[in-house]
Amino acid sequence: MAEFSLYATPALGGYSTTHDGIALEELDGLGLISIATPLDSDAALAAALKKGFGAEIPAVGKVASSSDSKIRFLGMAPGQLFAAFEHDGPNAEGAIADKLAGAGYTTDQSDVWVGLRIAGPEVRTVLERICPLDLAPNAFAQDKVARTAMEHMAAIVFREGEDGFVLLTARSSAKSFLHALEVSIANAL
Amino acid sequence: MSTQDNRLSGGLIDRERPLRFRFNGEELQGFQGDTVASALVANGVKLVGRSFKYHRPRGILTAGSEEPNALLTIGEGAYAEPNTRATVAELYDGLSAKSQNHRGPLGFDVMAVNDFLSPFLSAGFYYKTFMWPRAFWEKLYEPIIRKSAGLGALSGEPDPSSYDKGFLHCDLLVIGAGPAGLAAARSAARAGAKVILADEDFRFGGRLNAETYEIDGRPGAVWAEDTAKALAEMENVRLMPRTTVYGAYDHGVYGALERTGDHLPDTDGKPRQVLWRIYTKRALLCAGATERPIAFGDNDRPGVMLASAVRSYANRFAATPGKRIAVFTNNDDGWRTASDLAARGVEVAAVIDPRDGSPRAEIPGASVFMGDAVAGTKGRKAIREITLASGRSLAVDCLAVSGGWNPNLQLTCHQRGKPAWNAEIAAFVPADPLPVGMSVAGAARGALSLQAALTEGQAKAEAALSDLGFKVSGEPVPASSDESFAVTPLWHVKESKRRAWVDLQNDVTVKDVKLAHQEGFLSVEHLKRYTTLGMATDQGKTANVLGLAIMAEQRGISIPEAGTTIFRPPYTPVPIGALAGRARGKDFRPYRLTPSHDWAEEQGAVFVEAGAWMRAQYFPREGETHWRQSVDREVSTTRNSVGVCDVTTLGKVDIQGRDAAEFLNRVYINGFAKLAVGKTRYGMMLREDGIAMDDGTTARLGETHYVMTTTTANAGPVFRHLEFCRQCLWPDLDVHLISTTDGWAQFAVAGPNARKLLQKVVDAEFDISNEGFPFMACGEITVCGGTPARLFRISFSGELAYEIAVPARYGDALIRVLMQAGEEFGVTPYGTEALGVMRIEKGHAAGAELCGTTTAQDLGMGRMVSKKKDCIGNTLSERPELNREDGLRLVGFRPVDKSHALKAGWHFVSKGSPTDMAHDEGWMTSVAFSPSLGHSIGLGFIKSGDTRMGEIVRAVSPATDSDIEVEIVPSHFVDPEGERLRG
Amino acid sequence: MIINHPLLGPRDSAEFTYLGDASLIERPDWQAEDAADQFHDYLYLRDNPAGEHRELWFHEQGDRSWLVVTRNTLTHEITKVELARDVARSLGRSR
Repeated sequence: MAEFSLYATPALGGYSTTHDGIALEELDGLGLISIATPLDSDAALAAALKKGFGAEIPAVGKVASSSDSKIRFLGMAPGQLFAAFEHDGPNAEGAIADKLAGAGYTTDQSDVWVGLRIAGPEVRTVLERICPLDLAPNAFAQDKVARTAMEHMAAIVFREGEDGFVLLTARSSAKSFLHALEVSIANAL
Repeated sequence: MSTQDNRLSGGLIDRERPLRFRFNGEELQGFQGDTVASALVANGVKLVGRSFKYHRPRGILTAGSEEPNALLTIGEGAYAEPNTRATVAELYDGLSAKSQNHRGPLGFDVMAVNDFLSPFLSAGFYYKTFMWPRAFWEKLYEPIIRKSAGLGALSGEPDPSSYDKGFLHCDLLVIGAGPAGLAAARSAARAGAKVILADEDFRFGGRLNAETYEIDGRPGAVWAEDTAKALAEMENVRLMPRTTVYGAYDHGVYGALERTGDHLPDTDGKPRQVLWRIYTKRALLCAGATERPIAFGDNDRPGVMLASAVRSYANRFAATPGKRIAVFTNNDDGWRTASDLAARGVEVAAVIDPRDGSPRAEIPGASVFMGDAVAGTKGRKAIREITLASGRSLAVDCLAVSGGWNPNLQLTCHQRGKPAWNAEIAAFVPADPLPVGMSVAGAARGALSLQAALTEGQAKAEAALSDLGFKVSGEPVPASSDESFAVTPLWHVKESKRRAWVDLQNDVTVKDVKLAHQEGFLSVEHLKRYTTLGMATDQGKTANVLGLAIMAEQRGISIPEAGTTIFRPPYTPVPIGALAGRARGKDFRPYRLTPSHDWAEEQGAVFVEAGAWMRAQYFPREGETHWRQSVDREVSTTRNSVGVCDVTTLGKVDIQGRDAAEFLNRVYINGFAKLAVGKTRYGMMLREDGIAMDDGTTARLGETHYVMTTTTANAGPVFRHLEFCRQCLWPDLDVHLISTTDGWAQFAVAGPNARKLLQKVVDAEFDISNEGFPFMACGEITVCGGTPARLFRISFSGELAYEIAVPARYGDALIRVLMQAGEEFGVTPYGTEALGVMRIEKGHAAGAELCGTTTAQDLGMGRMVSKKKDCIGNTLSERPELNREDGLRLVGFRPVDKSHALKAGWHFVSKGSPTDMAHDEGWMTSVAFSPSLGHSIGLGFIKSGDTRMGEIVRAVSPATDSDIEVEIVPSHFVDPEGERLRG
Repeated sequence: MIINHPLLGPRDSAEFTYLGDASLIERPDWQAEDAADQFHDYLYLRDNPAGEHRELWFHEQGDRSWLVVTRNTLTHEITKVELARDVARSLGRSR
């Protein structure tokens, strides 16, 4: 029996509020694993992804889902995707790596990023204050993912529902990022 | 309270909503829908300011953003905004406005003496007069000139308003919501395109609101309102009133300033203005045209106004600028001012038209003088009388002047466009190359009639949309009239006896232009700089063409031959506050916090900004009154027992792939091919030019898996460099990079008791004894009963040390556990100061040594550069100049008199050598007080330093008059044999 | 400025970091007889064309791709954007 034990601290203290019809909350239990495709082994990774999760490799900028819809595969860069899913505890990497059986190089990104869910009818009016991308429904479809910068901070954006988005941002600057969102809500609505 | 004596009936104002406001302290009244200028006109106010240079009385000239004269300070105290154009400032209840640029009351400005001195103050006056004696400029001339010139003054207090920025996207941006813009937006919106329609005015319609035209059988203003209402209901349309599109940038990007709160008494905490970056696929410029004046004697007298402005005030704002008005026009459009005024029951005294022929309209009660011109005015603070070239005099209280129309083509010049002359309208019109994706419709491209504006607006919008693949409806164009704008150019009235003003904002006269010509400043660019024509807040919107036409006349060449200056952004001034947006104070940039930040704050840590990171600098304890006490204690405790430091900020790059080892071998100067799994190695990277770029350690966690650390400052640049190597230089190596900097909370645990402390935390199945986990070992372990962690036995402090990393979410818990577990050893947290002291004591290079000019050789690591392999920087590091015998070497320094404190930046000079650049031998890079040695120590570069141990040299700073003796010593001040870190 | 990323479509240049001439891809052979001269030219000698220029941009706030952007230095018109990795391979660079 160890003398000490460690507890997990959410980067934003489990933030969750609604202002002016905009629900903004920190994602609880985010598993985020990067998968890099070994050189010239796209087919092997595609097969492993198909077999393990029933998913296709998404193109860069696109989102694919596992057959049980529990895992989103985000096409981040040529030869690199992220698997995003709900996961409690620190060992998210195993959930992906075990099924890939060496077909991809995995790196745990769960603690690198903080997830925020923002939703509400006026969500785009809020985000246009900081997001340089066109988030209109026809310009940013349900299967799209993009990495960009908002207020000088890295952000990965994908959709969740009609008027909802998930924003992933670097953990170390997450408080500044949250502040940017709060200011945007206050200013825009 | 004044009585709005000059108010007419009708107009687009809301008489149900009266508004109180103050002008220079006097309480006045206007209505919702007024601008400050129209409310002043309604109240019969003519004198609104003093001119820039001569402090001449000035009145309102225009009814739009081109206004050169009526610049007021609006708001009180810290909220006061100087140089606000009264002609676009929307009136609100309680508004306070003050005139500018006068000493004493507006009506009696003592600086008006400048006007009598005007023979001495002509163009180029400053250049000619204040040249001698040279020393007087800074102390005498400039302060006086600054005090007497200039427009409004800032409050000197921080701006209490808030601002914001944002990003918008559209298929078609329509700039200007006059008839052309509305027709364009209507057509584009119906085709289903995403449309943004922006206009600087608070009311859409442009000139339609100021004219009496009809469209499709409705008054123009009603058509505009109906069209705007219909557009507002469409989801694909964004209407942006009060928004100035001020700049056209590359690839369809436009800058726009939306005044979201300037028309409100209180913005309720919301931003006052929002600066938008608009990404467009196509843009249509429908910015209309601006009327220009004619220069004649004393044409700057308050009450002399552009004819179109008089029409705007009468028609739109139901306020007449005078009770007995004369019109001076060289074109047919000017006559409409006379007819509209007469129709509204205002007395029109005369119409003066320099053209020959019959009157262009029947104006009841007005005398008409064809072939004549206005040559002078009389009156003190307002016009009382005009004198014609023919010698006649007429009593008037307002003179409406029209010299023709200049298209508002500014945005077409923001990239490479150079306007072309159109003789038919006697004005410059936009010419190719237009900004990519931009087209121009209506008056902005010289199609001045209403029907032409409507037709072109729709046609150009349809063309742009077809281009984008939209199906356009091809519906009929709204029907209107095709009125005449026939003009015969007249720039200045030669019969004028007194000064005739070209640029009212800069006090440039016809005589100044002639003087520029006489003195050889012939090109339009020289004319502008010599006379200041077209500078300042209005950028010569009413003056430029006049000025260069007069110059062309002087040179005896045509206007197109003389050419024109072009325009840069912004179209109208953009406040610095808006450009800053919300990035003020603490919001200037984001902060990065380490996982132990909250805990460190609880400990009362003092923080330092390291790049974007907030790092604990030191942890003062009770009774410590000076930072040195805290730092000395932190160092001593660490060296004698154990200390803990958050080193999360170091860059971490996860490197995987079959060729990862080979890749590392090529980016580091030293070999990495043979690094065993479970081992860590120090590595140094060079730039391709052979200069040191960064250093750090790389750990091999598995056959194909490495973790590299970089310095905190270079994490971004190094990652970029590695990706460059991977993608551009060796695209077929199997190697993959991803940053994990933020993912791990990493702590250095250092000191003789470091192992004992960690043994309490690391789970028992992991052997971290010196044998089981020797110096430079690394491994994936678990701590505190199964939490995954990484352990590296590396040391920056020179002590027995480890770096332990856990997923960032456990960082807060781990620092508390480490402190608890270390309690029995008297553990101390230490900050960046103690970290720095210990690395200097140990002779480790850091940012001050890897400063972008030093080589591996200079840093004492020349032998690390492997000559058996290729690596970045290897070839050029061999250049002879970088390998001189007497090259710089990093060594240690200690003061000969131990009581002296060393300073970084001091330069080294040999004893007996003069203190000059020729005898400079190097410089001190880093210094610290070493608690271990009890005196100040330093690191620095000095020529051939490695062979000069024990030599005494001088450390000098001519800037601070310092000159002390220091001894060259090895850079390892503490534990030179490295026994501690291997213990 | 807008850079039309070959995989992601048009993106604001604010997301990118500029490096320099695309010739930086063609790093010389370190074992060549005149390697020092070749590296000198590679690192320090640049054309400065008034017109088409091929240059390297890094999509730092995006997919981390290095791109070769063909830009007209007179007009800023961008006529071509390629993945630098593809360009490198087409130039014969491999391992």
